[in-house]
Amino acid sequence: MINPLLEAREERWRKRLREAEALPPGSSLVTLTLRMPAPLRLREEWAQRAREVHRALLDSFEERGFPPGGEEFHLGADGPEGYLVVSAGAEEVKKAAIAFEEHHPLGPLADGDVMNPSGQTVGREDLSLPPRRCLLCGRPAAECTRERTHPPEEIEKSVEFLWKGWEGAEKPFSFREESSARIARCADTALHFEAAARPKPGLVDPFSRGAHGDMDYFTFLRSGSSLAPWWGVFARLGWNFRGDDPAALLPPLREEGRRAEAAMFKATGGINTHKGLIFSLGILCAASGMLERRGAPFSPRECCTAAAGIVRGVGEADFAAARRKERGSLTAGERLFVDFGVTGIRGEAEKGFPSVTDHALPRLKGDLEEGLTMNDAMVNALLVLFTVSEDTNVLARCGSDGATLLKKKGAEILAAGGMKTQGGRDALHALDCLFTESRLSPGGCADLLAVTVFLHLLCPEDTGPEVPY
Amino acid sequence: MKALRSSVAGSLESSDVLVSVSPRDDGNIEISVESIVFRQFGPRIRSVAEEAAAASGIEGATVAVNDRGALECTLRARLETAFERATEAR
Repeated sequence: MINPLLEAREERWRKRLREAEALPPGSSLVTLTLRMPAPLRLREEWAQRAREVHRALLDSFEERGFPPGGEEFHLGADGPEGYLVVSAGAEEVKKAAIAFEEHHPLGPLADGDVMNPSGQTVGREDLSLPPRRCLLCGRPAAECTRERTHPPEEIEKSVEFLWKGWEGAEKPFSFREESSARIARCADTALHFEAAARPKPGLVDPFSRGAHGDMDYFTFLRSGSSLAPWWGVFARLGWNFRGDDPAALLPPLREEGRRAEAAMFKATGGINTHKGLIFSLGILCAASGMLERRGAPFSPRECCTAAAGIVRGVGEADFAAARRKERGSLTAGERLFVDFGVTGIRGEAEKGFPSVTDHALPRLKGDLEEGLTMNDAMVNALLVLFTVSEDTNVLARCGSDGATLLKKKGAEILAAGGMKTQGGRDALHALDCLFTESRLSPGGCADLLAVTVFLHLLCPEDTGPEVPY
Repeated sequence: MKALRSSVAGSLESSDVLVSVSPRDDGNIEISVESIVFRQFGPRIRSVAEEAAAASGIEGATVAVNDRGALECTLRARLETAFERATEAR
């Protein structure tokens, strides 16, 4: 063997196989190396820096609820290497390692390889995840490495940029706080996007009160601001959850949800702007927090399925209680269930928001891909929701005639091209007048539109280079 | 030169390649290639492996190349080592 670097790598591989063999059953070995060219990772300053990356990786496993049972760090001939023994299955551990690589400020510089006790590595491809992207250009990293696409000085510039960013960052870094802040930003943005989209027949937009005499766009802005701190609270509840049955999350979520409601009513002077949304987005934020702790990226459908797990059986329980209540003390949703058997948003949530995942979200994404503006894609998604969901706001105010009209009009305008055609846009404005006059307000659909936008923002499909600058 | 024993060289770490050689009686060289960049470099990796096998003078071996995005120089070095190890007298 001529090349000492190659020899060192082979030696490390043998060491990993030995260590893996010695693993307690059900645990995994994580090997950390620096993801940069050898001349860079062998520099003196990177010895200390790599130790910091190792520490950060260890902390990240701890925060996710997998405290490493053993650790080791040393400087090999091929550069710094770290080892962690984590008592969880290799797939679960790999997901957490990927989350570190993707979301820790130092992650792009780290390679977290995971091996099971039989000496098999678990890679992204084994989790059906796309390959790791290049630090500089976002192409699959292995292609750039093999072709030596980027000159060393450019890689060094990128690496230094990342490191300086870490040095200046607020510490300690917390995945839970980062995740819940990101989830909360998506919820907050979704709420405001929904309010701003127009024309929304019968609903409040920046230029119209729709069918509402008691609120306008500014009421929604106030309400949204009052709720901004709460999305993170729900997300953190989800992240902190450690049990097997997510339904156990519901009682604490409801308690915080009531506090959020109180904050909203205080901000709006007693007007209900977002009570339904607090329920829907609240459980989705918690579900997202729960999934984020596991590390791997998740799809809108997985998020909704997790949310469904939280509220499993909630309709039955609530409505059984409603049957025993005085009629006067029933909420609109409860009254509709008692009278018509309509399960409304509870039913939608228990089924995992099928109106959103199967209908509104594909439409929103499709329209955006076609080049429609966010506003127009949102209005079209709202029309789709008119046709597929049971809007209890409409049922409560205008009965089943209103609900039938909503479905019929939604389908008609979509057939006319929705926001894509002048005819569709004219029909939307006419419908806005009609709904405003007849006081028909599809607020349930509006909430589901916000849910649609939330999922669209939360689960990006296409991600660019790791260091966009 | 006949392959005398099974050998391995390299690793399954990122940017490396694991080359496994095992002897076969029919005197042929059979090469299999797995790679995370197979789509772009599969044929190239195979031809490098064929060249290296020919240059080593090895006869009668199954060569399995499992590539994790190695540089071509790494690939060559790993192949060379694996053939050396397979033909070394004990």
